[in-house]
Amino acid sequence: MSRKMAPVVIVMIEDDEGHSRLIEKNIRRAGVNNEIISFVTGASALEFLLGKDDGAAASSSRQFLVLLDLNLPDMMGTTILERIKNNIHLRRTPVIVLTTTDDSEEINRCYDLGANAYITKPLNYEGFARAIQQLGLFISIVQVPENV
Amino acid sequence: MTSIPGPRKSLSRNTLVTLTAILFFVGLSALFLIIGTTIWLGLRSQAYFSEIVAVRDFRSSVVELRSALLAAETSQRGYLLTGNEIYLAPYGTEKIIAKRNVDLLSRAIPASSPQALPFARLKAAVDQKFVEMETTIELKRVRRDLDALAIIKTNKGKRLTDESNVYFAGLVTFADQRLATASDEQNKNYKLLQLISLAGGIVILLVTTAAAVMVLRYARAIAASRDEVNALNASLERRVQDRTAHLAQLNEEVRRFAYIVTHDLRAPLVNIMGFTKEVEDSVSLIAPVVESASGSPASSIGKAHMESSLVALRSDIPEAIGFIKSSTQKMDALINAILKLSREGQRRRNIERVDLAAVLNSSINAVRHGLTKDNGRVDLKLVVPHIVSDRLSLEQIFGNILENAAKYRSTERPLRVTITTRRVLGDRVLIEIEDNGRGIGEQDQERVFELFRRSGVQDQAGEGIGLAHVRTLVRNLEGDITLASRLGYGTTFSIELPAVLSEKEPENQ
Repeated sequence: MSRKMAPVVIVMIEDDEGHSRLIEKNIRRAGVNNEIISFVTGASALEFLLGKDDGAAASSSRQFLVLLDLNLPDMMGTTILERIKNNIHLRRTPVIVLTTTDDSEEINRCYDLGANAYITKPLNYEGFARAIQQLGLFISIVQVPENV
Repeated sequence: MTSIPGPRKSLSRNTLVTLTAILFFVGLSALFLIIGTTIWLGLRSQAYFSEIVAVRDFRSSVVELRSALLAAETSQRGYLLTGNEIYLAPYGTEKIIAKRNVDLLSRAIPASSPQALPFARLKAAVDQKFVEMETTIELKRVRRDLDALAIIKTNKGKRLTDESNVYFAGLVTFADQRLATASDEQNKNYKLLQLISLAGGIVILLVTTAAAVMVLRYARAIAASRDEVNALNASLERRVQDRTAHLAQLNEEVRRFAYIVTHDLRAPLVNIMGFTKEVEDSVSLIAPVVESASGSPASSIGKAHMESSLVALRSDIPEAIGFIKSSTQKMDALINAILKLSREGQRRRNIERVDLAAVLNSSINAVRHGLTKDNGRVDLKLVVPHIVSDRLSLEQIFGNILENAAKYRSTERPLRVTITTRRVLGDRVLIEIEDNGRGIGEQDQERVFELFRRSGVQDQAGEGIGLAHVRTLVRNLEGDITLASRLGYGTTFSIELPAVLSEKEPENQ
């Protein structure tokens, strides 16, 4: 396996543009400068990640980190999570689930499917910013093994 | 749905009772009539019998008297002809017999009877006859045969005998007639008795048959109504099941709706909150710059303009942001409440045998301080010790209501809470929690179960979620909760739950 040591690309799957903008702002504030690619639908995100034939051939040489909102208009967030974790090329891709609920059943289901982290979008902004900054920390950690 | 058959024409209960009473009365009357007539006829028969006996005695007395008179005359003639005392022997006996029979007859014939006069004549004739006979016998005895013959030649004796015979014949005929009449009457009596018995028997038979027919008809009507009731029950049960299923489906839809709405309502709120914070941060960056710029005389912008900008930055914008923030937080709290309720409806129930006293005591202990301060007291009167239900839901239900009781106590008297349990129709358990708190006004009694609604003076912290939550919990246990309250006197919450909650989920998902 010859892999180019490209920096991790952050793939944000979030239908609410306001949310993506806020998340992006805070990631930047946390000092993370990786490329961020946003998708507002699950289908377009999956097409980008997996390619047209699910082979993920186009993406195999790149490292991703997925920020996934569970409430998407076109498909369930958990379906996307499942597809990513069941794909041979993508299954090691870290997936961070973002959602507005703290329903424990949903959280557990996401972890069962292989989510790496679960962040609820809190209504108070300080909490939100703190969560995203922790996310930034997480991103900088996951970058390390990829660069070795 | 089966069609409901119209009320069939049948004996109503009142008609039955009236008819039965009438039949009973008729039957009883017939019976009494038979008994009465039988007794009366029996008495009559006895009277006739006694009369027959008396008339017979009378007749034989008459006949005996006649033969005695005849025998005495024969005896007298024999003596007169022969002078032999031997002929005179029966005379004394016959005289005694005659006298006895005259006495018997005079006792048997009362003075008022039509036979009294002929009998008096007979008696006189008999007496005279004996006097005549004795006179002739005495003359013969003293050998005055010619004198005796002279008396006989007067034919007085013969005339008396003839007269007596007429009366004898009359009295015997009278006796025979009486006997014939009495035996006739006796026969009639017997026929009447037969007739009455037969008629009475027929009446009783008719009454009994009518009663039997009526009872049969009524029994058939009862059986028919029972079948109808069964059929109605069956169709009702099916309809209830249909409705219940339909309601469960609607309920589920409402829950899902609430869940989705809360999710979707939260997303824009996150934006409002986030970007408000961004604006706030931006303003706090700009403010010092504007401030320092306003201090500088070299500013190209007018001083007044500068100052109004500062006011906007220092107070107007922060105030606006403050309102936006508090409103979004409030909205978030409301959404959280709805979310909690919709989740409660979807929570899996853990059905087990629950000791009601234990659950109630643990709920009481959780708010014991609030309940018992200022001499407050809680009394338990538990008739039903166990219930099969979800323990956690029960704890939350009781906890919420007891917390309310402590919170909304009356300031005028020590708190008294009485908790009772009892069985009610349909294998259900009624749990009543009664307090003497401040009560809930009539206009608020249904509202308090609604989300975000609160009643009375708003002097206690709360979001208006508790009772809405309680009602959702109770309904999730397939029960119902109602309240009765009088403002200023207290409130009673009545929670009705199935005694045994079935495992079957009410059509979740």
